[in-house]
Amino acid sequence: MILLTAVLAGLFAGLLRAKWKKQSWRPPELQHVWLVSVAFLPQLLVFYLPGWRAHLPDTLVAASLVGSQVGLLVFCLLNRHQIGMMVLAVGLLLNLLVITANGGFMPLSTETAAQLIPQHILRSLELGSPLGAGSKDILLTPDAIVFPWLADRFLPPGWFPYRFAFSIGDVFIALGAFLLLSMQPNRQKGSDRNVSKSNDQTSGDGSENAPGTDGSEPPARSGADQQPVL
Amino acid sequence: MKNAFAQLGTALSKIQKHHIQLFLALLTLAMLVLGAGAPDDSLPH
Repeated sequence: MILLTAVLAGLFAGLLRAKWKKQSWRPPELQHVWLVSVAFLPQLLVFYLPGWRAHLPDTLVAASLVGSQVGLLVFCLLNRHQIGMMVLAVGLLLNLLVITANGGFMPLSTETAAQLIPQHILRSLELGSPLGAGSKDILLTPDAIVFPWLADRFLPPGWFPYRFAFSIGDVFIALGAFLLLSMQPNRQKGSDRNVSKSNDQTSGDGSENAPGTDGSEPPARSGADQQPVL
Repeated sequence: MKNAFAQLGTALSKIQKHHIQLFLALLTLAMLVLGAGAPDDSLPH
């Protein structure tokens, strides 16, 4: 859930930036958005809905996570014209790499876990097994982790009130989400003319709803592919 | 009068559409980051 703060921060920064420039903000132009829903569904069932996980073997849970992330990576690559999406894709690829190399779960070393969990609880946890119903992590000794630098090994500073472990891939994902929302080309208020030069350049490589040169509305696109302007 | 109602209807439908589109875009990004990331904040305490 901590990654959602990056989405909110990006939205807030994008709105502020647009207000500063006296322009209207609009969300990123994403294509094939249905793929995210389809790819996320296995994770929703396994990690976010209580009750499902207990009835599934760990191998199926691991396969759901890997398969889901492969689908999300395809979505990122289909939307690679967005810089933020490329940053996010790098993070996803790093996470996918370490998860796949460690049996389908994100490894968490006993050393890192010891800084987050009280000792008496840590002793009761079984090595090599998932940490909990809503967790993508498994507890492993540092020696047993493949690609330890890509694992959940980082912790927020001590003064930070919310405690969690995160990977370098998570940092890229948070940064990518932030860039996606905060660095969007904006539109001048009261006009459909896109004032961003960069968007003018990208309109030629697949962006279908760029406004016409006469300032007229572009041809309508279907469903969620259309982008709102705030 | 009829024209005014028609314009109001068009404006309202536009606003609603934009809000729904914004909601969908944010929902898509939320699902993407939740699915792509693997920070562990569900550790037993």
